[in-house]
Amino acid sequence: MLNFNAPIIDTKEYSEIKISEIEPILKINLRGKNRDFITKIGKELSIITPVDPNTSSSNEKLNLLWLSPDEWFLYSNDKLDIKDANSLEDKLFNEISKVKLGSVTNVSDHWIMINLKGTKIFELLSAGCPFNFNNFKNSKGAVTQTLFNHIDVIIHNKNINNLNLFVRRSFSSHLWSWMNDSARFI
Amino acid sequence: MFLINCPYCGERDQSEFSAGGEAHIVRPKQPTELSDDQWAEFLFMRKNIKGVQFERWNHAHGCRKWFNMVRDTSNDKIHAVYKMGEKPPTK
Repeated sequence: MLNFNAPIIDTKEYSEIKISEIEPILKINLRGKNRDFITKIGKELSIITPVDPNTSSSNEKLNLLWLSPDEWFLYSNDKLDIKDANSLEDKLFNEISKVKLGSVTNVSDHWIMINLKGTKIFELLSAGCPFNFNNFKNSKGAVTQTLFNHIDVIIHNKNINNLNLFVRRSFSSHLWSWMNDSARFI
Repeated sequence: MFLINCPYCGERDQSEFSAGGEAHIVRPKQPTELSDDQWAEFLFMRKNIKGVQFERWNHAHGCRKWFNMVRDTSNDKIHAVYKMGEKPPTK
């Protein structure tokens, strides 16, 4: 995360929709299969590892999202100090990767986090997603990976009408423009 | 356009998936002992049935897991979805 460059650095407000890029945020991809791995990440992060599909768990500092039966996505709530971020990554790397329990990959530069707030955010998402948000929008902590305007995204329903959307850096500017364009008509 | 019930994530739109061709093709135990024709048969030749077919699918824009599906290619009706390694349904 040295010399992190955010691609958007902007906040836009429309009627009932607020879109803002939140960066730099620590993001770590965790992969592992066995029970020891699941127990270990729970212990190291003081968080219950979500094993049910499309769920997440959170504590004051971190969020852990289920991505697939052997893959999780960790991200911080606040913009982290680089020293703190590196020490957490090192701790996980030493406890998991080094002992071959699983893999720990820092993907902070790979994904860009965009926060969406407001009562009409699901109307905006529905304009470009094939995913059915009917149950999702009422389930706090729900997670989905889907397509948004043909772009791969991870969506975390943080709270009612408040969600975090992760998009790959190379697609982020395009998605940002598309969201702003669509939000004007909702 | 149809919905697929991913065995890991649940019901999702078909656009999130990619088809991986015919399922349950067993790799020959001794490829070096095969003739070119037999090897080509294993490598390239696939059935393209109009009707019920066993297929591999990947949830490419979701959990990225592979699974098997029994689908009627004439009307896209899905008869069964099951994980890799599980036995295919007999009926």
